[in-house]
Amino acid sequence: FSRRRERAARGLGAGGAMEFRLEAHRIVSISLGKIYSARGQRGGLKLHKNLLVSLVLRSARRVYLGEPGGECALPPRPGPPPPPDCERLRRGCRPLASEAAARGRPECPAESPRKRSAAERDPAAGYPGKKPRRETEQPPPQEDMETGNVASLISIFGSGFSGLLGKERGAAEATEPGQVCCEQPVLRSLNPWSTAIVAF
Amino acid sequence: TSALLEVVTDIISTVEFNHTGELLATGDKGGRVVIFQREPESKNEPYNQGEYNVYSTFQSHEPEFDYLKSLEIEEKINKIKWLPQQNAAHSLLSTNDKTIKLWKVTERDKRPEGYNLKDEEGKLKDLSTVTSLQVPVLKPMDLMVEVTPRRIFANGHTYHVNSISVNSDCETYMSADDLRINLWHLAITDRSFNIVDIKPANMEDLTEVITASEFHPHHCNLFVYSSSKGSLRLCDMRASALCDKHSKLFEEPEDPSNRSFFSEIISSVSDVKFSHSGRYMLTRDYLTVKVWDLNMETKPIETYQVHDYLRSKLCSLYENDCIFDKFECAWNGSDSVIMTGAYNNFFRMFDRNTKRDVTLEASRESSKPRAILKPRRVCVGGKRRKDDISVDSLDFTKKILHTAWHPTENIIAIAATNNLYIFQDKVNSEMH
Repeated sequence: FSRRRERAARGLGAGGAMEFRLEAHRIVSISLGKIYSARGQRGGLKLHKNLLVSLVLRSARRVYLGEPGGECALPPRPGPPPPPDCERLRRGCRPLASEAAARGRPECPAESPRKRSAAERDPAAGYPGKKPRRETEQPPPQEDMETGNVASLISIFGSGFSGLLGKERGAAEATEPGQVCCEQPVLRSLNPWSTAIVAF
Repeated sequence: TSALLEVVTDIISTVEFNHTGELLATGDKGGRVVIFQREPESKNEPYNQGEYNVYSTFQSHEPEFDYLKSLEIEEKINKIKWLPQQNAAHSLLSTNDKTIKLWKVTERDKRPEGYNLKDEEGKLKDLSTVTSLQVPVLKPMDLMVEVTPRRIFANGHTYHVNSISVNSDCETYMSADDLRINLWHLAITDRSFNIVDIKPANMEDLTEVITASEFHPHHCNLFVYSSSKGSLRLCDMRASALCDKHSKLFEEPEDPSNRSFFSEIISSVSDVKFSHSGRYMLTRDYLTVKVWDLNMETKPIETYQVHDYLRSKLCSLYENDCIFDKFECAWNGSDSVIMTGAYNNFFRMFDRNTKRDVTLEASRESSKPRAILKPRRVCVGGKRRKDDISVDSLDFTKKILHTAWHPTENIIAIAATNNLYIFQDKVNSEMH
């Protein structure tokens, strides 16, 4: 195991900021590889694993792009600035620096964004016994796992990321990996990216 | 300690003792179930006392293809749960990703002989040779074990089933997939009752999935499910029909000094088990096992490090996918010792009373009969003893994900890839 790499992932070592970004970049590429190869998996897409990969990808991307909230993936460091609200970020809210927050409306998924049951819509539903009343609300067997977004996700990365990988070899010589990113408008401007990742 | 080694041709994916410990079932990636039976102890053959031998083998699930979604459905057996025995037959539930099946296991050791119209081979007799009538009698025969599918619970799950649990009422059971939990009646296959649904209205808002679930051993209205975020939710089916609102939420705040890119992954709970007493819950996440008291939601009462030396290797373990391994955990019969698997064919036991822990290895050397299992040690730098293994020489392809403990005795079943090890502690056979 590469000790330097591991320490970078934990935020230790000299030149920490640079190592963070390189490490984050590496994790982004590993994660994308996993998402891509998950398509051909026997037994269909594993929702749990792909959700975890997408969460890692999102954290690494934030660090790599220097977005607010990127620090949430790393151990806290002493001194200013004050730590971001990691709890809100973990709940899936967009970082407060987004335009939506600027409009004064924090974008948070509802605490329990669930389908409302018949029982909750109708207070007179009565005794909550083990009645098979809800089989009519059962999702039909042909319900889609909603993994169709994977196809668009892959096509997004097919163009944007291979370009980034091409620059990767130059990144080691670049003074600031962030600059590489700026030359790739695909990543910065690609708002659907952050949502497409989670859409498994 | 004595050991038995059975080689199953496919990778074992689940191991489960029945309620008396007389039977042990294993499921594998090929959809097969193998049931072992413990030999009754007899004075005639003292060396065979209490050993497990193959009792029955059957094909539970076959690979299927969902043509609508163009998806192959794996035949791998994810879980087996035994029903409490109610008559001479044994029953078990087995499940793959989509379909749960109820199997009945019966013995036949007698067969009728002396039919009037048929001869010994079953061919019809020439009626002119029949001069007198006889009553057929039951004669003993070689034991035959028959396994028949009694119920097939299909089309209940859109996502992959990760756990099943039989209720203490012995009439119902639940099955959980990534986003939903269904309640079934054991006699009814054409409908189930959805009791938990955490699917968000917009899948893009998905942040956590269900990872495991279990009914309380005594209270038929209570069950727990664990999440990929490391939380446990205790639900009461009497409170409401849809148990989206938990009765209790068990969650430990994250330690900020341990934060990394992989904090979320390693906090995902891979297994949850109620203690036999029903008072505690045991959870396994990637690096620890934790004991929770049902009366305290803020944090576990005990935390045991399984292999903390891996904490600095998480990036590599992410790369080689090991970080996604789902380890199970188990209680012993008296809830005083907990057990879980690790890498390099190691498994760990923690004594809750003495706070002592031990690392043991399931290997061919250790499986010689009456061999004593030697404790192993992983050294993380510093002084290295003679038989220590260094972290870097651990074999991460040899993982013990599935373990089971006999309900009352010191007998454990360890699945190491495609080998099943059964270890018995003859000296301390009875629970203290």
